Amino acid sequence: MTYLDIESLQVDYRQKNKKHNVLFDVNLQLPQGEIGVIIGPSGCGKSTLLNVLANLNQDYQGRVNINGQLPIEHKGTALILQDYGLLPWKNVWNNIKLGLDIRKVSKEDSKMRNQAILNKMRIADLKKRYPAQLSGGQKQRVAIARSLVLEPELLLMDEPFSSLDALNREEMQDILLHLWQETNLTILLITHNIEEAVFLGQKIFVMSACPGTIIKTFDNDIAGDYSSRGKVEFLEMCNTLRSYLRKEN
Amino acid sequence: MQISKIGWKTVQFFLAIVFILLSWWIFALLLETPAFPPPLEAFTSFFKSMQGDMLLHLRISFYRVAASLLMAAVLGIPAGLFLGKNPHIDQYISPVIYLTYPIPKVVFLPVLLILLGIGDLSKVVLIALIVFYQILVTTRDAARNLQTEYIVSVKSLGANSLELYRHVYLPGCLPAILTSLRLGLGTALAVLFLTETYATSKGIGYFIMYSWSSMAYDKMFAGIIAMGLMGFLLYIFLDGCERYLCSWLNP
Ligand SMILES: Nc1ncnc2c1ncn2[C@@H]1O[C@H](COP(=O)(O)OP(=O)(O)O)[C@@H](O)[C@H]1O
Ligand SMILES: [Mg+2]
Repeated sequence: MTYLDIESLQVDYRQKNKKHNVLFDVNLQLPQGEIGVIIGPSGCGKSTLLNVLANLNQDYQGRVNINGQLPIEHKGTALILQDYGLLPWKNVWNNIKLGLDIRKVSKEDSKMRNQAILNKMRIADLKKRYPAQLSGGQKQRVAIARSLVLEPELLLMDEPFSSLDALNREEMQDILLHLWQETNLTILLITHNIEEAVFLGQKIFVMSACPGTIIKTFDNDIAGDYSSRGKVEFLEMCNTLRSYLRKEN
Repeated sequence: MQISKIGWKTVQFFLAIVFILLSWWIFALLLETPAFPPPLEAFTSFFKSMQGDMLLHLRISFYRVAASLLMAAVLGIPAGLFLGKNPHIDQYISPVIYLTYPIPKVVFLPVLLILLGIGDLSKVVLIALIVFYQILVTTRDAARNLQTEYIVSVKSLGANSLELYRHVYLPGCLPAILTSLRLGLGTALAVLFLTETYATSKGIGYFIMYSWSSMAYDKMFAGIIAMGLMGFLLYIFLDGCERYLCSWLNP
């Protein structure tokens, strides 16, 4: 069943009376419980697409459906921004609890859920720290915890691991994969990194710029396998994707 | 580590006090005038006056400053946050603020005296008006310059406008707000002195000028010390607020 269904999506930004067409005729389908990865040049409208799905931008044309609902109706969407969006004036505990507070979850319940997610993400000993006292990888864990504590159905991630070094990045990819296997989250993730796309994306959507549109969708069988990195099929898929991106840009 | 940091702060503080008293004493010796007594004499007179009617004047002045700062904050902070959050409204208000900001509001003292009488209200309103502008402009600019990621990420958690103010705008602008309050405090005390030297018989400003005109220089200097200490205590209070409310700045 198609969980995420986007048909002929178009987004324009108005700048001083001039219309600037950012997304044009975007079509994207993602089944429930799968990981989709969007890859494309910067400025092609990837963040804009996520903003539409996260109901931060209602000014679009075309059909956008999440589990049969419009973005504005769908309550189970979580968005993780590129620079995490953690509030510097709240400590880790309160940053994670923020979504629960906004949803008016009872005090006891939110305390329990908060502690559980802290343990799961292995950041329990960081709970009194402020974001400024965290490393990039730790911030990323907190940001993921803040989203997952709300038990979303759809997780949107905007270049989540781009500012991490190679080792941290692979560790976070493993953690994400692990979380995904435990739940039946549907994940749509943006990346610039070809290996990341192949490692995580069961569906890989390639976008082109000006105006942004999806020019190719790859079905990727080897995604979601921890041991795939370095295997021949993995490298082959990377090369296919790489040559395709080269051709297009 | 923490203890030695506090210990060093205390030493610095102590040294500063010694330095100020020493310079004061040297100046007093050089000037040799009853209008500028040395520290010991001045403080003796201060404690003596505190037992007399100066305390009453001080209390009234304190009330005037505190009330006007409170009034300015209660009006200025929400208005500043609102304008910073809503640039499409600010674009109409901003020129009005821009044109009226540089006008020295003290010149409205006579007008306020006529409209509101010579009681406390005209003084409080004048001080509040001046400090209000400082708070409004600083708060608005801070709110305008908040990183959009904070706002977007909290919005994506489902926050409404009120929750955005509570979780993002107010805490995010608080350091700027407290800075504007501290700056405003200096202005407020200066304007307070001015308003109390005219058409009133109460307040520490009146006490100082009355002592001056009756050549009671020891009392005059006691009043100056009282005014200085009041400013100092209010400053410490705001500093404490910042340390308590914005502990995330220096974790
Ligand atoms: N709020 C906005 N107003 C006007 N133009 C915007 C806005 N946000 C993004 N854009 C423009 O839209 C295009 C796509 O932006 P974005 O979706 O952030 O790209 P990506 O995430 O793929 O790098 C860019 O050219 C950018 O300048
Ligand atoms: Mg982007």
